[in-house]
Amino acid sequence: MKILIVDDSSTMRRIIINTLSRIGYTDVVEGENGKSGLEKLGQGGVEMIITDWNMPEMDGLEFVKTVRGQNPAIPILMVTTNAAKEDIVEALQAGVNNYVVKPFTPDTLKEKIESLLG
Amino acid sequence: MDQSEIDALLSGGGKAPKKPKASAKAPAVDAAATPVAPAPAAPAKSREAEKDGPQKDGRGHVISELDTVTSVTERESNKVMDQLDQISRLVSRQQRLITDMMSHEGTQSPGVQSAFHEVMVASKEIQDKVFESMDLMQFQDITRQKLERIVHHLRQIHDYIAELLGTGLKSDAERPSVSHTIAQTGTTPDENKAHADAVIQAFKSLKKE
Repeated sequence: MKILIVDDSSTMRRIIINTLSRIGYTDVVEGENGKSGLEKLGQGGVEMIITDWNMPEMDGLEFVKTVRGQNPAIPILMVTTNAAKEDIVEALQAGVNNYVVKPFTPDTLKEKIESLLG
Repeated sequence: MDQSEIDALLSGGGKAPKKPKASAKAPAVDAAATPVAPAPAAPAKSREAEKDGPQKDGRGHVISELDTVTSVTERESNKVMDQLDQISRLVSRQQRLITDMMSHEGTQSPGVQSAFHEVMVASKEIQDKVFESMDLMQFQDITRQKLERIVHHLRQIHDYIAELLGTGLKSDAERPSVSHTIAQTGTTPDENKAHADAVIQAFKSLKKE
């Protein structure tokens, strides 16, 4: 399964990639903001998206809305520092399937991914 | 108070950062092709910020210096991640070697097998600690976003004063997306999990009705 990770922090992308590889997902592509995320998505083969919210050029919320306009079915997990209730609701309304607040444990990421794929 | 005085309040005379945030980031790579990517070289922006930020005479632009801090900490965090990756690979190699040795004819005595077993258990503990350390590096991203929030406020103060004085000189372009709730975000893993899960659950229940 190919997973697209969109986060402007290279450290954060590495942490997510490491976590994914430990739970068996090694086919990963990366984008550093919504715009490059859309480019990677356009290259095809992506079956799941993990995206940050606060990013330059195109933020995660705009990215999710754009993706949902093209693909209503692809599972999207938002992983962000935004923890306010209204933020979580806004993300869910935009089309996010599940939501993780940073910092997270590998178990949480695993749980969320499995719930999306299950 | 003129523009130079406003700038002096925030800067002491240094240059404002010119590049957008994106340039501070390492270019995205295809992780499938390079599973363990080495730490990106010092991003162009961080090198520039290091050069342009703190001045030799001790003066420095507040915003520029904060930019430098975020760039440098990201670069250095990636170096730590590289080292942790390296340790992880070495431990894996050690585990493979021991597994091979355990099947050799000359190592079949219970004492030797037991010693190998002990080493394997210790290796696993090291590997777990390495992964745990990698996960803890999330603090860098959270700290970076907190600093960006401070930069955001500084820009607002700068622009407000500039507008009051009618100078028309605004600060450099604002970052397009800054967390509005980062002040509430801590560094303890999963401290907001229960809260987020409850909101998700409530949202999904409402949607079903």
